[in-house]
Amino acid sequence: MLGNASYERDRCITGIRGLDEILRGGIPYGSATLVAGTCGSGKTTLGMEFLMNGAKSGEACAHFSATEPSVKLLENIRQYSFFDMTTVDRGLINVFDMDVLFSWLGLDKSTFNLDDIDAMVKAITDIVNTIGVTRLVIDSVTSLCYKIPNEQLIRDFLFKLGKSLSTLGCTTLLIAEITSVGGTAHRSAFGVEEAIADGIIVLGDVERMGNLLRYLQVVKMRGTDHSRAKYALEITRSGVMLTPMLKWGVSQ
Amino acid sequence: MIEFDLGIAEQLTQVTTTSSVQVRVGTSNSDLVIASIIQPLMQNFGMGGVYITASQTAPNVIEMMNTIGLDVSPIHFIDCVSSGILGGTQNPYSNIGYIDSPIMLESMMLRTLHRLENSQIQQNFVILDSVNALSIYNEERILAEYLHTFINTCKNRQVLSLIVNVPDQTPAGVLSNLDLYCSDLIDRGQVVIS
Repeated sequence: MLGNASYERDRCITGIRGLDEILRGGIPYGSATLVAGTCGSGKTTLGMEFLMNGAKSGEACAHFSATEPSVKLLENIRQYSFFDMTTVDRGLINVFDMDVLFSWLGLDKSTFNLDDIDAMVKAITDIVNTIGVTRLVIDSVTSLCYKIPNEQLIRDFLFKLGKSLSTLGCTTLLIAEITSVGGTAHRSAFGVEEAIADGIIVLGDVERMGNLLRYLQVVKMRGTDHSRAKYALEITRSGVMLTPMLKWGVSQ
Repeated sequence: MIEFDLGIAEQLTQVTTTSSVQVRVGTSNSDLVIASIIQPLMQNFGMGGVYITASQTAPNVIEMMNTIGLDVSPIHFIDCVSSGILGGTQNPYSNIGYIDSPIMLESMMLRTLHRLENSQIQQNFVILDSVNALSIYNEERILAEYLHTFINTCKNRQVLSLIVNVPDQTPAGVLSNLDLYCSDLIDRGQVVIS
């Protein structure tokens, strides 16, 4: 049976200037997208702007922070004009410290087994379900994966998490930290995250005559056509802005 | 008392917000030509705008304009030389944003768009000063690509673009591209010394 060529999946409009055009309308609803970036590439800002734009249209959003305390995160993000503290007060933006969550779950240990992973996935999905979260950011999934001893368990964790969140209709950004080796950025720290995710957005730097220019590139996004070009990324007081990178400047 | 070039004001009555104007200046008259552009755009047409400065620092431009008697405080400056080239951004002006280097052409574009998005003024211009300064740091082909993008981006957003260059010091390929992309020309590149 032939598919319907005119069928379009509903989109989660990120509201990030330039990104929805790159994605031809937004991220397909319920997708788990890996946002993999080097340090200072704008991952956290992009994630928070994504949540804030959802909250401004009345969506319940959640941020699980594993790399910095939520208080510090909010303090850093307050400098941006897109941030509206009333969304936190009104319960539309919900920020959780992973350390606190682990304490609740009795997971104060350095290595997780399969039961621990199941408990973590259940806790996250319970929160998403209870609050009715439609946009979620986990910052960073790499920090969580460091507690998981092997690739198969990491794969299980990400697969279960992605499946549960997708079932709940929650569009998720999984922030991943990557390193730049020999000028080439890898797309994930453990190599398995990129295979599980529905989409991959890479953030990094292009060095041009001793200066670093931030870029964003959508490498993969299931369920939508999208540009695969590199876009220059600038972090302004209003948030992330994107413009196509000059072609003669990409590889200099 | 400095007299503005009234021929420029007259010529600017013919342009629209989708125009792209190539501004040819000489090495000794650029300040006066630019002031003669800004003055009617702000005072006669009520326009606001962005001034991208790569030839000299933004404080220098502001002080020069103040000396001429032009208040440029409603203009936002994007300074490409003070931060990464000269290493100093301490000054009393709040209408300046900084870019690390004139090679960060995309940042220049995004910062410009950001300012225009936040402008309270309906009609805006962008002055790019100058192609010659940018050509010190950028190869001809990337500069030509940037100008192509810059002019068309401004045109699409109904922002008047004015691109300053000293023609006999501009790379030939870039100059021919400017001739092709720009809709208008203010030619003060030949300075007559009396």
